[in-house]
Amino acid sequence: MTELGALAEAGRALEPERTIAALAGAFELWRAPDSAWRARLAREHGVYSPEVIQFGVARALANWTADTLARLRARELHAPFAAPRVTAVWLAGSIPPSAFSAIALPLLAGSAVYAKPSSADPVSARLFAESLREIDPGIAAAVRVGSDAKVLDECDAVVAQGSDETIAALRARVGSVRPFVGYGHKLSLAAIGPGIDPLGAAQSLATDVALWDGRGCLSPAWALVSDSPRGRAAEVAHALAGALEETEDVLPRGALDAAESAELLELRARAAVREGTRLELAAGASTWTVVLESSELRPPAGTLRFLSVVPVSDLGSLARFLTPLAPHLSCVGHAGFGPDVSRLASLAVAAGASRLCPLGRMQLPPLDWNHDGQGPLRPLVRWLDVEG
Amino acid sequence: MTRAEIEAAVLAWIAQGVDAPADDARFEALALALFRLQHERGSAFRRLCTAFGVDPLRVRRWQDIPAVPTGAFKEARLAIFPPEATLRTFRTSGSTTDVRGALHLDTLELYDASLAATFRAFVCPDVERIRFLVLAPSAEEAPDSSLSYMFARALASFGTPDSRFCLDAGGWDADALVTELASLRAPVLLAGTAFAFVHLLDQLETRAVSLALPAGTRVLETGGFKGRSRELTRAELHGAITARLGVPRARIVNQYGMCELGSQFYEASLRTGVASDVKVVPRWVRTRAIDPATLEDVAPGEVGVLVHYDLANTGSVLAVMTSDLGSVVDGGLRVLGRLRGAEARGCSLAADALLDPPGASR
Repeated sequence: MTELGALAEAGRALEPERTIAALAGAFELWRAPDSAWRARLAREHGVYSPEVIQFGVARALANWTADTLARLRARELHAPFAAPRVTAVWLAGSIPPSAFSAIALPLLAGSAVYAKPSSADPVSARLFAESLREIDPGIAAAVRVGSDAKVLDECDAVVAQGSDETIAALRARVGSVRPFVGYGHKLSLAAIGPGIDPLGAAQSLATDVALWDGRGCLSPAWALVSDSPRGRAAEVAHALAGALEETEDVLPRGALDAAESAELLELRARAAVREGTRLELAAGASTWTVVLESSELRPPAGTLRFLSVVPVSDLGSLARFLTPLAPHLSCVGHAGFGPDVSRLASLAVAAGASRLCPLGRMQLPPLDWNHDGQGPLRPLVRWLDVEG
Repeated sequence: MTRAEIEAAVLAWIAQGVDAPADDARFEALALALFRLQHERGSAFRRLCTAFGVDPLRVRRWQDIPAVPTGAFKEARLAIFPPEATLRTFRTSGSTTDVRGALHLDTLELYDASLAATFRAFVCPDVERIRFLVLAPSAEEAPDSSLSYMFARALASFGTPDSRFCLDAGGWDADALVTELASLRAPVLLAGTAFAFVHLLDQLETRAVSLALPAGTRVLETGGFKGRSRELTRAELHGAITARLGVPRARIVNQYGMCELGSQFYEASLRTGVASDVKVVPRWVRTRAIDPATLEDVAPGEVGVLVHYDLANTGSVLAVMTSDLGSVVDGGLRVLGRLRGAEARGCSLAADALLDPPGASR
């Protein structure tokens, strides 16, 4: 039997209740206070500091429970359907919970998974598969981690993460007959209204910026801050600088590679030469940067704990900033809008966002999030409509 | 020193040619004087120094002059003269929707002098003039392209009257060019972007044509493939040029340059008769390969991010940090590619991608 045939055979054991129990058990292993799996990932991952791995994984998986899984499955898969026998999952980036959910969701739909880790993170997928084996070897047999590109041609469905170019190339390779779910690279932002305590908002924002060192598509690329009363944006920027400095003690940034270091240098230089900006930098280090902009023009997107604070006068200004981001916007983290949050939601959805969440929770997407506006399970399966 | 004094000193050095003594003390004195002038007169550069805590009075080595990343040329006018004094503006390539970097010049004297000295030494060391066939648009067609300006100036200085630019707004007539190349009886300089050569080679391959261009012909190719659908390594490109055009490897010269710099770097192959991938750094330029995390030099021969200090950049900033990877070796530098985006280890959209795609440097 071929490797894929064996995987498909193992997928037959994916009885829903048993799968939910296994996945929930694995998630529990990972979020346990003294999780050996988290500790191992923290040692082996290499991109993030151990503290970021420990905190980020535990927080992200906090609500990934059996109840959540069962509700998700019931919500999405309530009609007769056929799941793919084997789903190829092509991972990108380096954020562990993203790899975990990408593997877990096809399993929940009843499909075996062949996962190809990203070059930046060869560890997370492998360890998650091992943790699943610890809970239920039968379910874990339906997961294989490897790098055989031929699987793309032989599997029944493909879930792919990556740049738009990567997604387009994979989509072309997979063709139009088999289900293909692509998640291109996106960006997110924080929107802060007038009704906030600057210190509290800055602390929440610092958590969103610090987690995954600003590399994620859910990391804020800008903070749009209502400058009402006048000077409020400056207040938030300064408080954010302080919060990021404190955060560095508990969630130190990981090492950057050469390209990232150069990109950060360039971001800082571009901000510095722009007229009217005010920079606050980590003393003698590149660990964080806060830029207070002087206009509502869109500066380069931040990453790697670099964030531009853009003062905005009202929701109209915010709309002008958001509109050109469509369809690349993913998440808007918000605070201080009070009843105007529904207007913010309208602006966000028009700009392509698929998530609006409180500030401080940007890096904690629920397992049942309609990622990029797509259902977590439904796009994978083939439906049968039974007519009376 | 005043700007005029600095420029006179740099021009005098350039006039000594590429074989002038390297003279580190001379470079350092001019570089520090130019840096202080640029700090005093360049408001955007001064903002950068202030933000990074650089006190010009404490900068005592040319290596400590803050280098401005090329991306900063997209954000601000990095010039030390008023806008109305601008004589020419070179812009980085890109589509009409991109934010493009810009180098503003109020004099072309140093650019022209640097170009003439190096072009003579590395492209025309053996001929007074030669017929140019340029696979690029003319300076009239592309007035903000430093590449077109460079070819036009070189053509004016070293080209014969029957030289021409082969590309215009409508592209090029491939049939006519192939026919012209096939009928050549005298050597030419075939010059253009690397990608233009790929296109030409494709045309020859489609026609199953291999030429043997007249002895003495030379090829000058420059630029990369960024954003293009097809990429070749430099060795592959040069091999294909030799195979399809019959130009020996040692008569193919790669030039490395960028919109933000007043000087260019050439392989010395044609001058020495030995094919080489090492670009010679002109005497009035210094290049470092640095670790961008520490800003310290990497070991000689090791790969780092290239930073150039060009005394010909009198009107803007003399220290420019590139996105190019390379190594500094005895006698020059090797260019080994470009930094990939930080996107590679994350899933967020790269800083400028899609919203503001980075252009090739020229």
